[in-house]
Amino acid sequence: MRKEYKVSVYNDEGKEIAENVPIKAFHPLRNPYMREIAWTLKRTAIVNLHKIETMLSEGKAGWTTGTGQNEVQMPWYGFDVDLIGHAEYIADELKKMIQVEKDDDTEIKVIENGQILIVKVPKARLIYAGDYSPTFTSTAVALGQIIARLANLTPLEEPYKLGLLKNVLWGRYPQSVTPQKGNPISLIIKYPSALEGLGTSLKSTIINHIVALVDKRTLWGAALATILEQLSQAEMGNNIGWYENYNLLGSVYQGFNANNMVLDLIKENKSGSVYSVLVSTLERAIEDKIIEVKSNRYPDVQPSGYKLYSPKDFLLWNAYALAGMMAAVIVNVGASRALQSAGAVLSYFSDILAFEAGGLPDGDCGRVMGTALGYTFYTHGVFGGAGPGMFSLDHVLTRHTSGFFNPCIVAAACLDAGTQTFTPEVSSGIYFTIRKHLPEFDRPIEKVAEAAEEIKNEV
Amino acid sequence: MAELKRRRRGRKIKKYKPQLYPGPDEVSERRRFAMDASRRLKRFRSIPDDNLVMLLGHRHPGELYLSIHPPLDELVEKYDPVKNIVEPTPGARAGDRIRFILFTDSVYYPPMAPWLRARAYLNRYRGIDTVVYSSRQLLEMRERDLEAVSKELIETNLFDPGRVAIRGLTTHGHSLRLDEDGLMFDARRRYKFDKEIGEVVYIKNAQAEILDMPIPVGRPMSEREARGQDVTYRWDVAPYKSRTEIMSVIARYGTARIIGGYNPELLDEIDPLYGVRYDEIDKIKNNSEKYKNGGGE
Repeated sequence: MRKEYKVSVYNDEGKEIAENVPIKAFHPLRNPYMREIAWTLKRTAIVNLHKIETMLSEGKAGWTTGTGQNEVQMPWYGFDVDLIGHAEYIADELKKMIQVEKDDDTEIKVIENGQILIVKVPKARLIYAGDYSPTFTSTAVALGQIIARLANLTPLEEPYKLGLLKNVLWGRYPQSVTPQKGNPISLIIKYPSALEGLGTSLKSTIINHIVALVDKRTLWGAALATILEQLSQAEMGNNIGWYENYNLLGSVYQGFNANNMVLDLIKENKSGSVYSVLVSTLERAIEDKIIEVKSNRYPDVQPSGYKLYSPKDFLLWNAYALAGMMAAVIVNVGASRALQSAGAVLSYFSDILAFEAGGLPDGDCGRVMGTALGYTFYTHGVFGGAGPGMFSLDHVLTRHTSGFFNPCIVAAACLDAGTQTFTPEVSSGIYFTIRKHLPEFDRPIEKVAEAAEEIKNEV
Repeated sequence: MAELKRRRRGRKIKKYKPQLYPGPDEVSERRRFAMDASRRLKRFRSIPDDNLVMLLGHRHPGELYLSIHPPLDELVEKYDPVKNIVEPTPGARAGDRIRFILFTDSVYYPPMAPWLRARAYLNRYRGIDTVVYSSRQLLEMRERDLEAVSKELIETNLFDPGRVAIRGLTTHGHSLRLDEDGLMFDARRRYKFDKEIGEVVYIKNAQAEILDMPIPVGRPMSEREARGQDVTYRWDVAPYKSRTEIMSVIARYGTARIIGGYNPELLDEIDPLYGVRYDEIDKIKNNSEKYKNGGGE
């Protein structure tokens, strides 16, 4: 029989949202809000009509890199078609073609004066699909038919224009594994054919996109990243049995500010260093009787008087250490207002902790530390690498923890004052716009806690 | 701290005493000294500000600090309670560029070592970024913060002109035999021993660009002095057995990670210090008590 844990969740202003909720209510497959996030990610496609119009008129399509979006230029096949002016008509036609039954849950929103469409495909298309490809494929095919009709294209008269249209909407796919980088029809997560592992799909979005979706609000970013990570943990089968309470406790303390711990640690150390956060974490753990020195004799007290601390409740200690990590990152990055130091803090927080508390295991048993060492190495440009915010959560450098690394990086990215080469404004500008029309991603801590409060008597 | 006091009110709880590092001997004590933010570093030498700026090579002496974004006070940011809590450093407040200093530590009686640098930096300073690469430890900060910190690092006992070097590139040399005059080997020949003044002088800056005038950074330590500042364990500094405490902490840490990473619930059953189940340890203890009272069957 596993121990029952209960937590209270506080928002980023220190206000209590949910009191004494069992942590089972934060299980990604039980919590209604977390399920809604997963469902939204799977069924949402973003159509950039302005970009399609420009690409069609200039005859540019089919590139292979994100930065070189003018690699292929064939202006002689270009043609003009007014899409933004017909946005409402396109939305109506799309809806008719995508919906499976009349008045089902298909949703299409026209935003930014017709420049962008947010398409949500119906459940009926996804539930009998092997993966979430229909979100992209059905939208792209339907849009292709609508544009071909708007521009009066026929394969006998303008075969090459039709070829260009296909390339604008799909890139070089199926020659390439996925459509082109920066395809005008995109998913928030990666295309299913580009996934690198089993169960990584829901977290396959880049750090800067998450930062933009929460409008650079630090603890919201941490919460949203935690939700995506934990959904993936469930999909990977990594929060089952032994690991269930381990993952739930860790994510609630680190990501959702349980018992106001992260915020308390930040407030206590607002002009402190990483080490002072570590000391505060240990003080709090001793105070709450999570760790202790078992006796006054050897080996618990070493000859020099050095004490070996032992966890009384390892799962809870792990959660405390993870919350301490989050606070340490926020304190250090908040001081320099530069994202790049997040990896260094995550790697050395564990290292200092090991020698400070007599070999007490660190958060996530060294996985965060190991991941952070690789991450710092590749974000500091020795072998190229990328900007810290350009990594996706399922990247080979960032995915190796039980979902406790990326929330810290996202929080740090929210605090950055503009020191990156690829800032969220550069890489994810469109997400700042669409977040206003996707209310699902707003106020994640509050929503996840309210959802947990709703189901707390059922779990 | 006010928050902690509020939580402590009415409860008798001993304040946590930071331990920093295990070990009863001199070397451990030196490591603790380097890491402990509450202890002031010993000042050994003095480097004028302008010389330091020239040595770093990021700007000319007297030149204004360049900025990468507007000062924080002028920056229009979305509402975020956390941003208002944490105090930014002066450099961050002004929007300075991020600049770096790299130190290379020799393996022959060094007063600092890369892994210890990382711990010392994170304990002592705020808003820093540190990464270890082959034979060097990087420190990145906002420019004016970096200059203040570098001054402290070079002027104090953490620096030995002969065995620690400031190198922005071509850093290798930490594990090579000492070069002439007992200085660490440098492929770029950034510094040399000036016999007239008896000090090490840098003739090139960290980026190996030739300086207008040589910059003295102080007298290198003799081997005997360096041994007294050494932070590594070696046969002629501290004997192997004196590491026992550190080794047992490392072993305990490693075992705990392996067990906890495999099955977090197993840590309640297995003692990470010995890697044996608690009930078996009890059996062994009981047996030994039997032997004490006359022993055996």
